[in-house]
Amino acid sequence: MNDGPLIVQSDKTLLLEVDHDRADECRKAIAPFAELERAPEHVHTYRVTPLALWNARAAGHDAEQVIDALIGYSRYPVPHALLVDIAETMARYGRLRLEKHPVSGLVLTSTDRAVLEEVLRSKKIQPMLGERLGADSVIVHPSDRGNVKQALLKLGWPAEDLAGYVDGEHHPIKLAQEGWSLRPYQQAAADAFWHGGSGVVVLPCGAGKTIVGAAAMAHAQATTLILVTNTVSAHQWKQELIRRTSLTEDEIGEYSGSKKEIRPVTIATYQVMTTRRKGVYSHLELFDARDWGLIVYDEVHLLPAPIFRMTADLQARRRVGLTATLVREDGREGDVFSLIGPKRYDAPWKEMEHQGWIAPADCVEVRVTLTDEERLAYAMAEQEERYRFCSTTPSKTRVTEALVRRHLGEQVLVIGQYIDQLDELGEHLNAPVIKGETRIKERERLYQAFRDKEIQVLVVSKVANFSIDLPEASVAIQVSGTFGSRQEEAQRLGRVLRPKSGGGGARFYTVVSRDTVDQEFAAHRQRFLAEQGYAYQIIDADDVLDEV
Amino acid sequence: MASMEFTEWIRGRTDDQLRALVSARPELITPVPAHLEGLASRAASPSAIGRALDRLDRFTLAVVETLAVLGAPVPKAELGKLVGRALAAGEPEPALSAALDRLRDLALVYGPDDGLDLSPGVRKVLDDPAGLGPAAVDVFRHHPPEQLDELADDVAPGTTGTGRDRLAAALADPAGLVGEVSDEARAALDQLAWGPPTGRVPNARREVRVGSARSPIEQLLARGLLAATGEESVTLPREVALHLRGGRVHRDLLAVPPALEGTPRDQKQADRTAAGQAFAFVRSVEELCERWSIDPPGVLRTGGLGVRDMKRTATELDLPEWAAALVVEVAHAAGLVAAGGSVDGEWLPTSGYDLWRVRSTADRWVTLAQAWLQMDRVPGLVGERDERDRPLNALHADLRRSSAAPVRSAALGVVAAAPGLAPSLDSLLDRLAWEQPRRRGPLREQLTEFALREAEQVGVTGLGALSGHGRALLAGDDAAGILAPLLPEPVDHVLLQADLTAVAPGPLTSELNRWMTLAADVESKGGATVYRFGDDSIRRALDAGQGAEELLAALARHSATPVPQALSYLIADVARRHGRIRVGTASAYVRCDDPALLDQIVADRRSAALRLRRLAPTVIASRTSRAALVDSLRAMGYAPVAESLDGDVIISQLDSRRTEGGPVTRPVPPGNGLDPEVAAAAVKALRAGDAAHLARREPVAAPSGAIPRGPATATISALQDAIRQGVRVWIGYLDSQGNATSRILEPARMEGGYLTAYDETRAAVHRFALHRITGVAGLS
Repeated sequence: MNDGPLIVQSDKTLLLEVDHDRADECRKAIAPFAELERAPEHVHTYRVTPLALWNARAAGHDAEQVIDALIGYSRYPVPHALLVDIAETMARYGRLRLEKHPVSGLVLTSTDRAVLEEVLRSKKIQPMLGERLGADSVIVHPSDRGNVKQALLKLGWPAEDLAGYVDGEHHPIKLAQEGWSLRPYQQAAADAFWHGGSGVVVLPCGAGKTIVGAAAMAHAQATTLILVTNTVSAHQWKQELIRRTSLTEDEIGEYSGSKKEIRPVTIATYQVMTTRRKGVYSHLELFDARDWGLIVYDEVHLLPAPIFRMTADLQARRRVGLTATLVREDGREGDVFSLIGPKRYDAPWKEMEHQGWIAPADCVEVRVTLTDEERLAYAMAEQEERYRFCSTTPSKTRVTEALVRRHLGEQVLVIGQYIDQLDELGEHLNAPVIKGETRIKERERLYQAFRDKEIQVLVVSKVANFSIDLPEASVAIQVSGTFGSRQEEAQRLGRVLRPKSGGGGARFYTVVSRDTVDQEFAAHRQRFLAEQGYAYQIIDADDVLDEV
Repeated sequence: MASMEFTEWIRGRTDDQLRALVSARPELITPVPAHLEGLASRAASPSAIGRALDRLDRFTLAVVETLAVLGAPVPKAELGKLVGRALAAGEPEPALSAALDRLRDLALVYGPDDGLDLSPGVRKVLDDPAGLGPAAVDVFRHHPPEQLDELADDVAPGTTGTGRDRLAAALADPAGLVGEVSDEARAALDQLAWGPPTGRVPNARREVRVGSARSPIEQLLARGLLAATGEESVTLPREVALHLRGGRVHRDLLAVPPALEGTPRDQKQADRTAAGQAFAFVRSVEELCERWSIDPPGVLRTGGLGVRDMKRTATELDLPEWAAALVVEVAHAAGLVAAGGSVDGEWLPTSGYDLWRVRSTADRWVTLAQAWLQMDRVPGLVGERDERDRPLNALHADLRRSSAAPVRSAALGVVAAAPGLAPSLDSLLDRLAWEQPRRRGPLREQLTEFALREAEQVGVTGLGALSGHGRALLAGDDAAGILAPLLPEPVDHVLLQADLTAVAPGPLTSELNRWMTLAADVESKGGATVYRFGDDSIRRALDAGQGAEELLAALARHSATPVPQALSYLIADVARRHGRIRVGTASAYVRCDDPALLDQIVADRRSAALRLRRLAPTVIASRTSRAALVDSLRAMGYAPVAESLDGDVIISQLDSRRTEGGPVTRPVPPGNGLDPEVAAAAVKALRAGDAAHLARREPVAAPSGAIPRGPATATISALQDAIRQGVRVWIGYLDSQGNATSRILEPARMEGGYLTAYDETRAAVHRFALHRITGVAGLS
């Protein structure tokens, strides 16, 4: 018997007992090859996935090290089948390599002829390949570099991309660390990305991902294309870059629905990139407009499919993805891996909170009991209308009002999905509402007023889910959401996680109708955060109403 | 007569040597022959010789083949010269002497060192020894004399005698003849030189003369270097082959087994890995039985488990199909599942499973591993197709292969011979080919591959090397004792977490395990188990009659951490919706349309023991079994009828069902060969029988003097001593008429109140009732 902190399961999950003496040491040993899946209070779950193993191979770890770590820390004997599987999976990486060939440009070479033959027989791969150069290598059309990698990953033979990157057009960018400095983990994240060449940095909301982006740009010293989710976020990036780097306003361009500036650093929105005119993406030329040396993808977990396709053509340029979570509701994690790159940095939320980089948050689920009439109406509602009905009941409005009153004097965000519900709330709370139709100027005016504490309550729709920097918001009340979306929940919590000037904690309420699908979706949404160690406290709406 | 000499040689063997013989060739004494002549003739039978030869290694078999080639009794020196020439390296000694001792022990070779000979029958069994065809004299036996004369005239002009003899004499040194033929013809000869000695040519019996021979084959046929042995087949005479082989019978012979190659393994790590796998395997079998007891798959009309059921089982066990088939087959071989149940037949756990389940994990593993080692079925074949292209099903009679168990022990024997080494498959097959050269073929190689794969899966080997507990299992030692400390110890608590999961940091005690499986869904298995609580699982627990309070209390009791608020809310929420419906457990009920009659039953004093509860005016629930309830009510004077489980929702709990145990492979003591006591008894009986058979031994007169008398216990212990020491004794015996007689005996064995012994005074083997033996005395 070994008294290790780790239990290796036959389904390739690893259970780490966090209170164990050797837990920290063990976490460091397994982190390179296992993805943290859940981090609740006592036992953290890691998963050994093929992607994680290939990440480890890419970072220079071999199967022997992985197996030694597992056996060394495991409390119980490790099933042999699992060890064999790990060794086999790891051996698959690097059998195929994309390399630069002095004459033929890009080639796919193999150390194992049988693998190359197998791959060449695949109908998906054939059209992307050119002439065969001898027994062990074959020409790859440079434009298919991304597609080949994507297809090879699907076949289970991930290619090691050793073809390198173009430097891009040089442009001096320096971090202006005056009155602030790069936090250690931001530095580590930027460095990890740079050494890896391309990849994804995973940091919680409020941990300063923009600054990691800026640090990456300072590494690259080249013209940069930044892709963000929406215009407001683009403005914030711009302001942040002006504040944190040597870049001036003239050097930063905005490429959005209203402006089409192309400057050494250009910030474009996903929306404009994916706009189609007569069936063609009309803004593709942006990618070729300059010789970009770095491409930054903000909120990589939301990357729309067309951007993936465009990214496939950009494999010769360095890419960095920034996100709070790799969880994609569409399950395209593999595309993120093959097209943007492997995960280069990851920090558990709770740990960041302990270190004081993000505000500690209390998550509270407020359960509203529907009135008898509401229950009857709910029972009779059409299937597709049910969620809308139960998440927008008048009972919720009453509870929300009570919650706002409870936090009088604090900066409160009320977040919801349905516009009529938000309008009604705005009316009841006497607060401005920001929704899709609100003009950008008006939005920014309201955000600024909120930051300046001229407005204390702001009702926002899902337009504010991402990348809106509202450091002083300390209370968020979620009244409805996009069904069971886990990443939305994480994003919304992120709105209140920025460290507060007063140093206080944040509070995140989610108002849920009891015994309805609302409750089921809420449970699903909460899973990601619960797994990250946020324990939801449940309170009864009546208690809140009684207070008032 | 060789057979007479052989019988005499057998008779001349010492008792120890005979014991060695029957231990090594147990088939010779099943049943025990009456006398040594019988033993000798049985030892010379082709089937017995075949089995004995099957046990020989490559080198020893080569010695036998060389003797077969040499013919007639030969001195050891000559044999040694020929064997030495065949060796790839080194000298024939001491391996040759050891091989000859072994062969004598097996009675395959007899005679002294200066006149060694193969035992009768061996030559006949070895057709084409070492790939050599018959000698010229034999190979031309059936040729027409005229043709032989012509052949002889061509190859040996001017000699006299029959054509066959002249030809044979000429072929005794075929160097000249071989030198005459063309290169192509020489190449054809070389093809046949190392066997097999026959080749196919069209129109083999054509008439050719040296002068007119055209094709290479015709050149050879015309010189008698090839003999036509059929319309389309030719054979290379032995003399020619030996010449082509440069006087060697074998080539590249190894006197010692080839060294094993593979990957060295740390023994401790191998042990731990194997133990981990052993634990997983036991769990898989348990899970299989638990699943099948609720939802048993049907038995196919032809027997066996359907392909779809097999696939489903593999998915449920989360194993690849071959591994799931192994689990199913081993569970069956260990008598844990068998066909039973309804008319069509279902695969159900047996009552033996219930006994197995309560034992310790290590003990359970030993049962499974032994069943695997000894079963004559090949799970690896599941999913393949038979010669009629039908899929082979698990648990089907078609999976039986008599060589399955021997191959398994042979393969593991090789792995055992190299501690701390994971031998490569090729190296292991090479070794087996040396150890058992006559047992080869594609099936055996496939079975060997299966055996290694399965050994790893069962947890006998770890990382390809034999584990400590695996070694103990093979040796028949206490494998469970070695395995137990390596296995996770059962824990009696779980860790509850706010994300509604519970982690059991080790195997749970059986009661807690059942409880957790009821109240939560298993998310991940292995050394630990991860459970997730959800609406459905809580509802399931409530359905099974647990209350919300009960659940919370049990959770608090079994959790090492406080119950998280989210979980208590979940339980409260689900339970609240269940509030209107009361769920309880009952094992039988009484139903009656007349409430008055039920009033009467409840009021009846005698019903107190039945613990009845009135659920509704027309329904009473009871906690006794249905059968007991029916019996008791009858005893009370009512006339109840048992009702089937169908159609009543109140008590719709699924029953775990069982069937009677099927035929179980009887555990054979591990290790090979015969129990030494059996061998000794057999030899004794043989000697006694032989003595009687020879009848050369005259009846001996009983010694004069007083008939021995003594207390019964002394008699028995004296007889036991005599049996052990193999000495003669003098006894007093009351015959069937009650007359006191005196006998001289060679006691052989004592069992069931009888002594079997050779009675020298009657010159026959007799059985003596112990209670009639009046006493025993020694003979000087």
